[in-house]
Amino acid sequence: MTTTPERARQGTLADLAAAIERAAADLALAEEPAGFPAALDGGAPPAEPAVVPAERSGG
Amino acid sequence: MGGRRRPSRRSSRPSDPVADETLAGLAQRIRAREISPVEATQACLARVEAIGPRLHAFVRVDAEEALQTARIREAEVKAGRTRGPLHGVPLAHKDLFVWRARPASCGTAFPEYFRADHDATAVARLEAAGAITLGRLNLSELALGPFGDNAHHGDAETPWRHGHCAGGSSSGSGVAVAAGLVYGALGTDTGGSIRLPAACCGIVGLKPTYGRVSRAGGMPLSWSLDHVGPLARTVRDAAILLGVIAGVDARDATTSARPVPDYVAGLDRPITGLRVGVPDRYYGDGIDAQVQTAVQRATETLRGLGAEVVESPLPDPALLNDLANVIARSESAAVHARIVRESPHALQPAVLSRLEIGFHVRAHDYLQANRLRARAARTFVAEVFARVDVLVAPTIPEPAPALAAVKAGTPDEIVRRMGRFSRLTRPWNALGLPALTVPCGFAADGRPMGFQMIGRPFDEATLLRAGHAYEQTAGWWQRRPPLP
Repeated sequence: MTTTPERARQGTLADLAAAIERAAADLALAEEPAGFPAALDGGAPPAEPAVVPAERSGG
Repeated sequence: MGGRRRPSRRSSRPSDPVADETLAGLAQRIRAREISPVEATQACLARVEAIGPRLHAFVRVDAEEALQTARIREAEVKAGRTRGPLHGVPLAHKDLFVWRARPASCGTAFPEYFRADHDATAVARLEAAGAITLGRLNLSELALGPFGDNAHHGDAETPWRHGHCAGGSSSGSGVAVAAGLVYGALGTDTGGSIRLPAACCGIVGLKPTYGRVSRAGGMPLSWSLDHVGPLARTVRDAAILLGVIAGVDARDATTSARPVPDYVAGLDRPITGLRVGVPDRYYGDGIDAQVQTAVQRATETLRGLGAEVVESPLPDPALLNDLANVIARSESAAVHARIVRESPHALQPAVLSRLEIGFHVRAHDYLQANRLRARAARTFVAEVFARVDVLVAPTIPEPAPALAAVKAGTPDEIVRRMGRFSRLTRPWNALGLPALTVPCGFAADGRPMGFQMIGRPFDEATLLRAGHAYEQTAGWWQRRPPLP
């Protein structure tokens, strides 16, 4: 049976949506996208002495 | 030392005292006035002219402008002044950055596809540190493709084997550095686009932590997943480049104000006691046997250097790929909606197919993916990095495949092939963690292989230290491609 591009696309989207839905089933109500940069910052090791000032120009 | 093989130091081509130099070595010799910036630039331009076209490394060469800058840098050296650690060093960058107020093609058929109000911060910082920019490097169309084929600017080839992929999307960056056309290059990485070409071309590539390097002035593909980073011949060279481009930037609100450490200073510290984790699943599935063996040997080399190697259970990596796909497809479709609507026939069919699907992702799924990403990053860092300092995994599932093979089939078949080739790199974009790929050997037919090390957020220093220790022991970096 041949799969049309449109059917393949719908299948891909359905698979992705199902995976997201399963994983999100137990998400806390308070979870929000802004938790991502906070997770990176919170997981960083203690800062070493800087060699470059924290404030830098754009170029 | 656990099955480690010391590679031959013999080069595959006659030795070239300028082209064979590393970035660190060249910069030092320029400071010592052993080589002038003009000599180095002329040597690179000669190689670009001789080799560049057949590898499709460059989109555009700015020879006169580069030589003019080189003459200024040379006069400065003679006057006893240097601008920074890259004084007089020739570089070139992926053609999706705006600099000198010139737009970028972004690998499309349109030379002025992407414009920005300001020059790219990363390029500007490299030039402020003394670098000389030779031109613009080839890439996959719209940075959407892990193989480096490009219908408009030519298919970039790995310099190690004719007719085989350079890896993408920063294909020209990988080729130019590996072929000795420049001493370093910038790339961008949304799902592996720095690490894949680095591995296919036998060089070092670093995707920094999300927020470590400004993306301002570079074409966005997926602003949640895009990273800017260096491709270089050695880990030390990558450390020098990262030290120059890292740091907060008012033009990119996602950059972190966290101080930038001296990445070079810690390189030679031993890795005794470093906890190296080998993932318990996913990263060994369906991997070419030669790649698997090379990564195992690399891990044993790290153990031989004093690292403590342990198996590391990981949260579901497949889910991370799904999150990255939902986010990347939604955002790239939004960013590039205009070209899809107005000029779809100007895009390669597989690129168009990847973009079009993003129009159909539900807002609900996009938002849930972003919420899940926050939880995944927090959980991963807390659980995995409580037990290990660094993870190791293959970068590419097989050595650089043949260009003809990756371009065959329908657009949907090509898109699925793309997903399989980048499945080892994409999860680290979802998590925003730093990932360094380092060459770890060569397949029987001469194609290079690479492995990646992944670290804590903003802990590039540990990755670079471990990568440097491995690289100096294994010695693969000394091999040169079979070029004139």
